Amino acid sequence: MAFIADTLLQLLAGVPMTLELTAISVSAGAILAGVLALLTRLGGPASWIARGYIFVFRGSPLLVQIFLIYYGLGQFPAVRQSLFWPFLRQPWWCALLALSLNTAAYGAEVIRGGLLAVPKGQIEAGRVCGMSTFTLYRRVILPLALRQALPAYGNEVIIMVKSTSLASVITLMEVTGIAKGIISETFRALPVFACAAAIYLAINFTIAGAVRLLERRLGVAS
Amino acid sequence: MTALAPLGFGPEGWGAALLLATGMTLAVSVCAFFAGLVFGTMGAAAKLSGGPVLRSVAGAYTTILRGIPDLLVIYLFYFGGSAAMTQIATWLGGSGFFGLNGFMVGVLAVGIVSGAYQTEVLRGAYSAIPRGEIEAARVAGMGPALMLRRITGPLALRTALPGMGNVWQMVLKESALISVTGLVDLMRQTEVAAGSTRLPFLFYATAACLYLVLTTISATLFRGAERSTRRGMARA
Amino acid sequence: MTEIAVAVRGLEKRYGAMPVLRGVSLEARTGEVISIIGASGSGKSTMLRCIPLLEVPEAGEVGVAGEWLRWRPKGTGRVPADKAQVAALRARLGFVFQSFNLWSHRTVLGNVIEAPVHVQGRPRAEAIEEAEVLLAKVGLGDKRDSYPAQLSGGQQQRVAIARALAMRPAALLLDEPTSALDPELVGEVLRVIRALAEEGRTMLIVTHEMGFARDVSSRAIFLHQGIIEEEGPPAQVFNDPISDRCRQFVTSHLRR
Repeated sequence: MAFIADTLLQLLAGVPMTLELTAISVSAGAILAGVLALLTRLGGPASWIARGYIFVFRGSPLLVQIFLIYYGLGQFPAVRQSLFWPFLRQPWWCALLALSLNTAAYGAEVIRGGLLAVPKGQIEAGRVCGMSTFTLYRRVILPLALRQALPAYGNEVIIMVKSTSLASVITLMEVTGIAKGIISETFRALPVFACAAAIYLAINFTIAGAVRLLERRLGVAS
Repeated sequence: MTALAPLGFGPEGWGAALLLATGMTLAVSVCAFFAGLVFGTMGAAAKLSGGPVLRSVAGAYTTILRGIPDLLVIYLFYFGGSAAMTQIATWLGGSGFFGLNGFMVGVLAVGIVSGAYQTEVLRGAYSAIPRGEIEAARVAGMGPALMLRRITGPLALRTALPGMGNVWQMVLKESALISVTGLVDLMRQTEVAAGSTRLPFLFYATAACLYLVLTTISATLFRGAERSTRRGMARA
Repeated sequence: MTEIAVAVRGLEKRYGAMPVLRGVSLEARTGEVISIIGASGSGKSTMLRCIPLLEVPEAGEVGVAGEWLRWRPKGTGRVPADKAQVAALRARLGFVFQSFNLWSHRTVLGNVIEAPVHVQGRPRAEAIEEAEVLLAKVGLGDKRDSYPAQLSGGQQQRVAIARALAMRPAALLLDEPTSALDPELVGEVLRVIRALAEEGRTMLIVTHEMGFARDVSSRAIFLHQGIIEEEGPPAQVFNDPISDRCRQFVTSHLRR
């Protein structure tokens, strides 16, 4: 029992980092995702670039992306001499960058789905009352698309909470990193696993509950 | 061309090793996918027709395994599996340390996680079968086994294929995590090559491309399978 | 002696506290066409669905082709004693649903030969030959390789009739076979059923098509609140019923 309590305390110390990685990468990723989703609708080279980005980041493992940024970028002297190097040599910033770029690709697909699901009639209703394309997007299409996309985006946030565990592979001591440390010291895998799992489940249940609440507030049909 | 020489197939190149490791990634993914299919079938069966106990066990399984990081599950099996094996060996009168190999750990861990997703895919697909088509099979005198083989199985498979394709893509990408056990899959081999050549960008970019090839080819195969099972479906 | 194709005795069925059937007995002799009419909620569809055990009656007996289904007690109720007997009983009936219920993953021909080949174990070639005759009979000989989703409702229902006939059933049970159809498609299905009646098929039809029922049936039954309120030759039930409720029901429906 004392071991469990002790383990929980140690693991809880990693929760802030897990939450920070999630919150920052989801926020940054969402902005990029919105841009990518809009670009895919433009057609032409811009949409090809956006589609290519989405294809690459959804089609390869996040772990490869993290290593590519953390270890790979340092291969180039130009990067090492640039003013980004103080950031790119730190695992924290590399993990954040990789997580953000990764979730942006998945988020873009979610938003794109939301845009496609906007009923044509409601767009036409905006047109006939004289809205410009910009106003139409701002007042009608985007709000509707975001409502449609909300449940799926909630899932994406939960996936990101789980994905932050990969930051431990590049030495960051968030919850999974600490758990691995304790397990390899004590070899008591099951109790440590159970504590870490409980923490992740608590975080994810909270997020799922918050998303549901938001859905109800926004009147999303479920 | 010299920049790409480290990827070549000569004695100095890593090409052959990477291809071999890609084969390992495929092998461990396929095994994990089918393990997940087995877990998923059991989970879906429990959710659809189990008693209250089985149903809540299956519910806990899908909720927990979809709510925690895969990496954590891999660590559980990697460290916990070895501890359990050593314990069992001690009981049986053996001595020393017994480790589970990375392949088995990977198949089990990724299999169990993907099984949780597969459970939902299969349960959803079965629930989507129109009740009337099942009734028609019952009045034709079909027993449960025949009905599963001829009617509900094919109908559920058709609905499940897109979801199963997603689970496969997930398995393929999650399989990279198994490299933490030391199994020489594409990810691990890439780390080794990147470290020894000091060309990390080249090798990780190559690995990303190889994963993209795998995910793209398998996505095409799944789409083909979907098309061939979709015959006769109402076109939306 | 005329053979009894389908029989039910004292059927009782309730949904929760609501009794739907309160002791229904009926015998269909071979060659008879019995139409079952009544307001919605009168229990007529439930009665028909009890025969192949799509609904399990709490009390009463079900028999097909001279064989009664055996029961065994379970808890406070009962269940069929022998699952194989249920399957065998079902395989001796043809059932046509209101909503067709064709298997969407099989072609028209695949639907028709499915049960003959896989339930009754008949040779495939023979089943196909017979299926083609049946499809021609319902006017769909050219649709054998289509999928259900490519057919109109009327066509789907005619395939469903062919599928039911392919079982070589002792009796054909039709549960409101035209109720899910657009009005202009009703005629083609009724024509097929009429032709079957004329060739002496044993049929039980639950229907709202009063004029059609009066013309084709050899006997008619009016159900009210789970009880047979009126039974007799169509001339009696439709034109001169004893029961006032039946008279009201029939006149209001015939006029439409």
